Amino acid sequence: MGNSPDLLLLIGGPQGGGIESAGQIALKTLILKGYSVIGTRDYKSNIMGAHSYYTIRARFDRPGAIRFPVDAAVALDAESILTHFNDVKPGGILVYDKGSLHTKIDAIQPMEQALKERLKKLFADKGLPPIAESAIKLAEEKGVRLIPLPMRQLVRKLAEITGASLTSVARAVNTIGLTAMLYLMGIEPRCVEKAIAAHFAAKKKVVAINVEASKLAVDYVEENFGAPSEFLADGPHRGKKVMLATGNEVVAMGKITGGLTFQSYYPITPASDEAIYMEKFRYHQLTSEAEAKLGTPKLGTVIVQTEDELSAIIMAIGAASAGARAATSTSGPGFALMNEAISLAIMAEVPVVITIWQRGGPSTGLPTKEGQQDLLHALFSGHGDNPKIILASGDHVEAFYDAIKLLNWAEKYQTPAIHLLDKYLASTTTVLYQDEIDPGKAVIERGWRIENPTTEKRYMITETGISPFIPIGGDTMIITGLEHTEEGFPTEDPVLRDEMVEKRRRKFETIAREIPAEEKVVLHGDPDAKVTLVSWGSTKPIILESLKILEEKGVKANFLQIRLFYPFPVKEVLDVLSRAETVINIEQNDLLQAAFLIRGFTGYNIKHHIKKTNGRAFWDTEIANAVLEILETGKREVVVKGGA
Amino acid sequence: MARNWLEYKTPAWVQWCPGCGNYGILAAVQRAVAELDIDPKKLTVISGIGCSGRETYYIKGSNMHVVHGRAIPAATGVKLARPDQTVLAIGGDGDMLGIGVEHFVSVGRRNVNITVIVHDNSVYGLTKGQAGPTLPAWVQTKALPGPNLHDNLNPLLLAFASGYTFIARGYAYHVDQTKELIKQAIEHKGTSLVHILQPCPTYNNIMTKQWYEQRIYYLQEENPEWNPLVTSQQDLLQKMPTILEKLVEWGDRIPLGVFYRNISKDTFEERLGKIILNYQEYPPGKRPIAIDGKPLVNPWEVFKEKVMQT
Repeated sequence: MGNSPDLLLLIGGPQGGGIESAGQIALKTLILKGYSVIGTRDYKSNIMGAHSYYTIRARFDRPGAIRFPVDAAVALDAESILTHFNDVKPGGILVYDKGSLHTKIDAIQPMEQALKERLKKLFADKGLPPIAESAIKLAEEKGVRLIPLPMRQLVRKLAEITGASLTSVARAVNTIGLTAMLYLMGIEPRCVEKAIAAHFAAKKKVVAINVEASKLAVDYVEENFGAPSEFLADGPHRGKKVMLATGNEVVAMGKITGGLTFQSYYPITPASDEAIYMEKFRYHQLTSEAEAKLGTPKLGTVIVQTEDELSAIIMAIGAASAGARAATSTSGPGFALMNEAISLAIMAEVPVVITIWQRGGPSTGLPTKEGQQDLLHALFSGHGDNPKIILASGDHVEAFYDAIKLLNWAEKYQTPAIHLLDKYLASTTTVLYQDEIDPGKAVIERGWRIENPTTEKRYMITETGISPFIPIGGDTMIITGLEHTEEGFPTEDPVLRDEMVEKRRRKFETIAREIPAEEKVVLHGDPDAKVTLVSWGSTKPIILESLKILEEKGVKANFLQIRLFYPFPVKEVLDVLSRAETVINIEQNDLLQAAFLIRGFTGYNIKHHIKKTNGRAFWDTEIANAVLEILETGKREVVVKGGA
Repeated sequence: MARNWLEYKTPAWVQWCPGCGNYGILAAVQRAVAELDIDPKKLTVISGIGCSGRETYYIKGSNMHVVHGRAIPAATGVKLARPDQTVLAIGGDGDMLGIGVEHFVSVGRRNVNITVIVHDNSVYGLTKGQAGPTLPAWVQTKALPGPNLHDNLNPLLLAFASGYTFIARGYAYHVDQTKELIKQAIEHKGTSLVHILQPCPTYNNIMTKQWYEQRIYYLQEENPEWNPLVTSQQDLLQKMPTILEKLVEWGDRIPLGVFYRNISKDTFEERLGKIILNYQEYPPGKRPIAIDGKPLVNPWEVFKEKVMQT
C-alpha cells in the first residue's frame, strides 16, 4: 500500500440531469478502490434545470471537509464550465463538453444574473468574449489540464453500440465525463464498472448502457490524451462491509434502530428526505433474536404526512401521550410553526423529539443551502419559561446515536428534545464502518413508565422532578397545557403553581446532572494548546481537518465542540475556555448565536469569531487561514466566503 | 351492559355560565359513553381552547387538553398510537372551524376513526363575545362593536367535501336526541362529525334558545323514510342530491339528525394495517421497542440497500 492520495473531485450539471447519481457512482468507485470518502450535494430550490454540483473527497482515512480548488472537475454544460472553471487547481483536470464552448453567457437562462455580470466583467477586462470558451482559456492559463470531450459524437456512438435510443443513453453523458476524470486521476476502469453495477443494481439495461459509456470514455481518453502514467495505490478499506449514507438517512436509521414508533412530518427541505427514507422501512425486519422472543418477524413505525407543521408536532404529542415513541422532523420555517406546541409539550410533560434540519434563513431564505441559524430559535422556542433538551450532532456517527439518545432522554425526562442538524450534514454522504454504526452500542431506555398505575399520579410531585409516565389508556387523567394539579386538573392556586414550577425546574436540574459530561462537550486535540476553537454541529469534522492544517503551519490548537445546548454545560465550557490563551468561535450564522449563549450562560465573552453566511459549508483551509489571520492581526471577526 | 353515567363525572367545578348549552352537550356525551359501556380509561376526550375546551376536565377519561385549534391532530395521534381507545375531539366553532380549520378538513381525508364534536354558538365566549366562523354576516351580537362582516361557513358541507363519513347535527338542549347522535357517531367506523347548535346566553343575543327552537326539526321525524346510509360509491352518487339539499338547508328551517353515514370507505387505521400488517396487534403506543434495552433491529440488515462490500 502506497501513500494516501487526497482527492478532491467535482461533478457539475443541471438539476435533474443525473448529477446525484453520478456523484454516488463516483463515491462507490472510490470505496471499491479501498478509500474512505465523503461527498456533498449542492443544489438550488428548483426541480430541474438549475445548476447543481457534487463535490467529493477521498483518501485512506475519512476526509472531514470539502474544499475548493479541486483536483479534477467534470463540467458537461456551459453553466458548469462558467461556474467552476476557477475551482480547479493548477495542474488539475477539467473535463468538459466541446459542444458547450460557444454558448453565450446571456443565453444561459438558469444562471444567476449576479454571476453573469461578474463573469462578463472579468472576460471583458481580459479582452475575452462572453462565452464559455473564455472560461476554458482562463483555466488553461492557470495551468489546468483540459480534457475536451466531443459529447454529441460519443453519445451517438453509445446509442449505436448499445442499440438503445439517443434519449435513453443521454443520461450516460455523466458516466462518460466521470469515467474520463476518474481514469485520468489514476482510478482503474474496473472500479467504475463495478460501481455502476452496484449503483443501478437490478436495472440491468441501465447497467449495460453505463458500462459501455464508461468503456467508450476510457478508449477516447486513451486515444486522445494518453493513459495515466500509473494507477493510484489501493486504499486500506478493501474487503470490508460498509454503509454509504447521507445525514438524513443516518438519522432515519438511528430513529428506527432506537425504536421510534411514530413520526409525523410536513414536507420541507432539507428535512423531508429523513421521513421519506423512514417511510420506505416503516414495516421493518427484526433481528432473529427479537423475532424469536417476540414471535413476530416485523414491526412497524407509523409515518404520517400531515397538513402542516402545527399538525405534525401536535400529532406526535398525541401519539407520545398515548405511549408511542414519537418524533417529528422539520426545518427552521416549519419549526417556527411548531413553537406553540413546544410550550405545550413542556407544560404537559410529553416526550417528543423534534429533529431540526437547519438551512439558510431568515424566512424562506436559502431553502437548499447551508446555515446554522436556528440555535437561538431552538433554545427560545415556545412561550413562557421554556426549557427543553437541545443536542447538536457533529457528524454522521454522532447523529445516528444522538437520534437514539434523544428518544431516550425525551421519554426518561418527559420533555421535548430537539436534535439540531443542518443541510450540509443532511446532504453529505459518507462511508460508515461496522464499528461506527453498531447496534450493540445502542441503548434504549424509557425511564419511569407505569402502564397500569395504582396510586401514582401523572404529574406527581417528586424530588427529582420526574413524575411517572402514564400513557393514555393506562389511567383516567388529563394531559394538559394549563397549570395543573398532580392529576392534571387546572389550578391557579399560587402555592401549587410554585410547587409545579419548582418541580419542573428540579427536573431540568436532574437532566443536567444525569446527562454524562462527554455528551455535553468534547474537547478535541491537545488540552494544553494555547488556541481553542469553539463550534457546534456539522462544522466538527471540518474543524478537525483545519487543526491538522494549522499544526503543519506550526499552530497548536484544540477544538471545543459544544453538543448539549440545554441544559447548558456551564462548568464544562468554562473549564476549557478559562484555560485557553486565545479563543476563536466558529459558526455559520451572522449573529454569532453560540457565542451569545456562551456569554449568557457562562459570562465568558469570546473575542474572536470566524463566520460563514453565504449558504456554503466551511472549507478546512478557510478556517485554518482565518485562524492564522486572527492570530496574526488580532482581528475580532473574519467572514469567509468560499463556494460556488 | 350500560354503565351509570355518574361514573363519568369528575371532581372539577363546572365553570360555565348558567344556561350554557355546554351543560346539555356534557350530559349527552356522558350518557352516550355510559350507554356504550366505555371504560373511562379507554375513553379519550381531547379539546382545544375555549369554553367547550374545559369539557375534558368534566368527563372522566384518559384525556388531553391541548392548544387552540389542535384537538383533531392530537386526537389523531392518540388514535393512531392506541387504536383501541375511543377518541372524541371536541371544541367550539372558533376552535374547530376558525384557528383549527385546516385540521377539521384534513382529518376527513384520512377517515381516522374518531368523533369530532363541534359546539357551535357562533361566538368566542371565553374571550368575551367576538364573532365566530358560523355567525352570519351583518349580524351584531351584543359584545360586537359593529355588525359582523364575515359570512358564515357551513360545517356540514365542509365536512362532507372533506371526506367525513358520518355527519350529524344536534341541538344542545335536546340531551336525549343528541346523546343518540353521539352514540351513533362513536359506533361509526371512520371520521364522524356531530355538529351541535348551542345558544350562548351570555354573548349571543341573536341566535337564542327561542331563535333555534323556532327553526329546528329532525330529518327522520319529518320524513320517516329518511335514510342517510351510503354503502358504495354508486350509492353515494345516487343519494348525493338529497343529502346535499339537507346539508345546505339553513335559515327559517334547520334540520337535525344524521345526514350522512358512509360505510364504504376504509379508515386510516385499516389503510395502515395494509402496510404494517400487524399494526392492530402492535400499534405505536403498545408495541415493544427493545429487549433488555437492546434494539430490535439491526441497521445493517434493515437498510441493506445502503451496504456495500468493498
